[in-house]
Amino acid sequence: MNIGKISRVAGPVIDVDFTTGQLPRIKEALVVNCNGQDKVLEVAQHLDGNTVRCIILSESEGLARDMEVRCTGEGISVPVGEATLGRMFNVLGKPIDGLGEVSKDVTRWNIHRKAPSFSEQSAAVEILETGIKVIDLLEPYPKGGKIGLFGGAGVGKTVLIQELIHNVATEHGGYSVFTGVGERSREGNDLWQEMNESGVASKTALVFGQMNESPGVRMRVALSGLTMAEYFRDTQNKDVLLFIDNIFRFVQAGSEVSTLLGRMPSAVGYQPTLASEMGELQERITSTKNGSVTSVQAIYVPADDLTDPAPATTFTHLDATTVLSRKIAEQGIYPAVDPLESSSRILSAEVVGEEHYEIACKVQEILQKYKELQDIIAILGMEELSDEDRAIVLRARKIQKFLSQPMFVAEKFSGVSGVYVPLKETLRGFKAIIDGQMDQYPEAAFYNVGTLEDVIAKAKMLEGD
Amino acid sequence: MLKKTNNVAVVYSDTQPSEKQLQGLAKFLSDKHNCDITVEWKQDKQLTGGFRLEYGAYVYDWTREGKLRQLKSRLEQLSNQSDIIPLLKQTVEDWSPVVKAEEQGSVLYVGDGIATVNGIEHATYGEIVIFESGVRGMVQDLNRHNTGCVVFGDCSEIRSGSKVFRTGKTAGIPVGEGFLGRVVDALGYPVDGKGEIEAEDYRPVEMPAPSIIDRQPVNKPMETGLLVIDSMFPIGRGQRELIIGDRQTGKTAIAIDTIINQKGKDVICIYVAIGQKASSVVRLEQTLEKHGAMDYTIIVNASAGESAPMQYIAPYSGCALAEYFMYQGKDVLIVYDDLSKHAVAYRTLSLLLGRSPGREAYPGDVFYLHSRLLERSAHLSDEKGGGSITALPIVETQAGDVSAYIPTNIISITDGQIFLESELFFQGQRPAVNVGLSVSRVGGAAQTKALKKASGTVRLDLAQCREMQVFTQFASDLDDVTKQQLQYGMGLMSLLKQPQYHPYTQTEQVVLLVSALSKCLQHLKPAEVNSYAKNLLEYTKQTIPTTLRRIDQTQILTDDDKAAIVQCAKQFRDQQATVSEE
Repeated sequence: MNIGKISRVAGPVIDVDFTTGQLPRIKEALVVNCNGQDKVLEVAQHLDGNTVRCIILSESEGLARDMEVRCTGEGISVPVGEATLGRMFNVLGKPIDGLGEVSKDVTRWNIHRKAPSFSEQSAAVEILETGIKVIDLLEPYPKGGKIGLFGGAGVGKTVLIQELIHNVATEHGGYSVFTGVGERSREGNDLWQEMNESGVASKTALVFGQMNESPGVRMRVALSGLTMAEYFRDTQNKDVLLFIDNIFRFVQAGSEVSTLLGRMPSAVGYQPTLASEMGELQERITSTKNGSVTSVQAIYVPADDLTDPAPATTFTHLDATTVLSRKIAEQGIYPAVDPLESSSRILSAEVVGEEHYEIACKVQEILQKYKELQDIIAILGMEELSDEDRAIVLRARKIQKFLSQPMFVAEKFSGVSGVYVPLKETLRGFKAIIDGQMDQYPEAAFYNVGTLEDVIAKAKMLEGD
Repeated sequence: MLKKTNNVAVVYSDTQPSEKQLQGLAKFLSDKHNCDITVEWKQDKQLTGGFRLEYGAYVYDWTREGKLRQLKSRLEQLSNQSDIIPLLKQTVEDWSPVVKAEEQGSVLYVGDGIATVNGIEHATYGEIVIFESGVRGMVQDLNRHNTGCVVFGDCSEIRSGSKVFRTGKTAGIPVGEGFLGRVVDALGYPVDGKGEIEAEDYRPVEMPAPSIIDRQPVNKPMETGLLVIDSMFPIGRGQRELIIGDRQTGKTAIAIDTIINQKGKDVICIYVAIGQKASSVVRLEQTLEKHGAMDYTIIVNASAGESAPMQYIAPYSGCALAEYFMYQGKDVLIVYDDLSKHAVAYRTLSLLLGRSPGREAYPGDVFYLHSRLLERSAHLSDEKGGGSITALPIVETQAGDVSAYIPTNIISITDGQIFLESELFFQGQRPAVNVGLSVSRVGGAAQTKALKKASGTVRLDLAQCREMQVFTQFASDLDDVTKQQLQYGMGLMSLLKQPQYHPYTQTEQVVLLVSALSKCLQHLKPAEVNSYAKNLLEYTKQTIPTTLRRIDQTQILTDDDKAAIVQCAKQFRDQQATVSEE
């Protein structure tokens, strides 16, 4: 067996000397035994004829120079197939749910794979109903497409992704894979308990590498989850749902180790390889002629800055983007989706139908008009507007409120039970507002409700007060 | 010389040494370390031939095993050379056990809190080393030919060429019940002049956070006693709730009120001061003392004058102390005041270690710096004892900008934030909580049933009301629904004002919320609300004591009880009205 020795430790980056001159290949996994505990390293660079530079997939504490490092001859691999369903794994494919080891006979796949070739790709054209009004109306999600949820800290990305799991994964007959990348362990625990209660767990594989883990883990765990989803797509021809929360952490982990690997920093201190790292990962998340992967990815927006290189690079890879905004969350409107920033490639008359397309455009138009008028209102007040503009402003405010809706997963905090609004109802509701049929109801009645009937009921209740 | 408060060495052996032997050992150590040391004996039956002397991190090994180890290493050094037999003979003849602590190195470069050291080849990453002067350091970089250390203390005591000793221990601090009521520095040494602390254990400052499966959802309330927080942004045991705002907006006040409110609730509190004025920390200690809160509180202080490495390690030390209690099944509240200064200390350190800067010159792993700290706060599963650490990190913003780098980083780690606004603060709305931007993601599940029922949708109502206020500020003709909504909102806001050190009990909060939401306070001017509320509470205590006791015990608000409170509030209103008429 090929054995090397640690020669340098700088945080998560470790140099290993191989005096034999036989260097392990890049992306090969190495193992070092530190106080009776096996730690895994992955080779990142060959520095010279004797030395490789590696990233460690655990804490560096306890490592010392001259410790022995074993080559494994292969890359990191994870178990795949039915055996992964209902289980929870870490980045190395070890179960962390306390339900025992995975059987040795289960197939394992290397987490580093090639993206499907050009001829295998398939383009998505069908709408995926989510039961969330603002999404179904303004940025419909394509089946087999790639969906991004952008948002700064604390505007509700995770709640929305969990609501989507609730609405879509429970309805969806196929398998799901949930990958937690650099997010809260507490959320992992909540999700695990919730999935086991609702029974979705038996169709879902979970992979976690949370924010308390070292950068190496957070860099690789997205690949571990993705590999499990790819197996279902490629060998079983299934339609798979892949949830990733949060893909930004993957980039962030890369930037944490980048300078330690000896690379020059690029814009805002990110790694120079940002775009290629992201591309390599994103091109693997795709639907092929064999099966489809519908992916929902949360993307954290650092410092609320959408032009930050990490979210900016991610935009190009997506079919539909939902942008969550702090200004809207501040008004108590949840989900805090910004209706004018969000977009979808399938919002066109050919895919969603003439009627849907028209309503969506009209809603955007009214909201845009209101946005322009806001400055005038702030300076001169509502009285100075023409009657026509006033009607638009009032309707726009009703539309804004009507875009909120109570969510199932937020029920235990808000005390309001969630609603699933079918697309048909959503269209009917917004059409009524646009056409002025709802002008007589106070705007408070439109807030945090499901369908038109709920609005009318709430209006009655408000009057009765 | 660093002042050593714990001048006790321990000698381990099978048979008890005589008084004279102990004195001899004490003299040996005292000479060696330039200070008075007393020696205690502890029995260790495994040590048959000889004894082992431990003083702090120094170990002097006179056991049979120790001597053999020294011989072995000496032989290993020789075995590379040829012609081994004569050398071996020579060595055995020359050899006598050497009296010294094991593995040492020497300082090459020192300055700005960083030392580069030669030697100590087998030092592990994160190990504590001791410099000749007694100052401690921690290994942060293992290079091929040297070792980079951060220095916890005064660099001017260290010179190039100074000796460095390994301790074999990863960075950690002593922990124990004895720490309650005390003020310690980032390495666990007492700084309050009340003598030494008897430690029960030694815990590494860096520990992995509890795993996903070792946790359970947050489900018990951590009462702050502040109406605005307990009703709208309830905090649960095991939650991380960020307190964020500009300077002088009452961030620390919220944390202190919360600590004071834990009296008699069986919660241990730890306050970690990072980069603060030492005098503020003294004042804080006195305040806690005055309110009887020091009995269950530990203060970890790394004030502004301490070196960057000390400030960097302080929150981890505080967390290690908290973990000691959590793993015993206890509930702990830890306040990190504040993490923006912690980030700055880490930036200093990291730039000095030559790591390249990113956004706002912070190093790339500044997120990981805080995420691995705050993830250690958790509510453990019942199998693990069910203990919890609730964290209240504090972050200072500049000009109310929550979307700056460090604030958003920490917001994305915590389970919610309480945002304090200086505008509100100067308007007299104290605590100056911005209802729209504050949120608590998990606390709702931990709120008592009574309070949850009483608070209803207050938060969303207020957020909507605030938006309405902005929208209608120039409008003259408002419809009645809107007018009512605005007035109701203003009334609620004044009810939420609460002076410092005056916590409300849960039942008092229920009474206030029920009265306000049933519009029994609607007729008041904002300025009157507070005194009115106080009198109302007195009145309810006299008229419906059994109802209040029932709510207190069962923590449930039945419809009957609610009706009783409403009725009582209305009576009080009418009574007040007649009083003022007369």
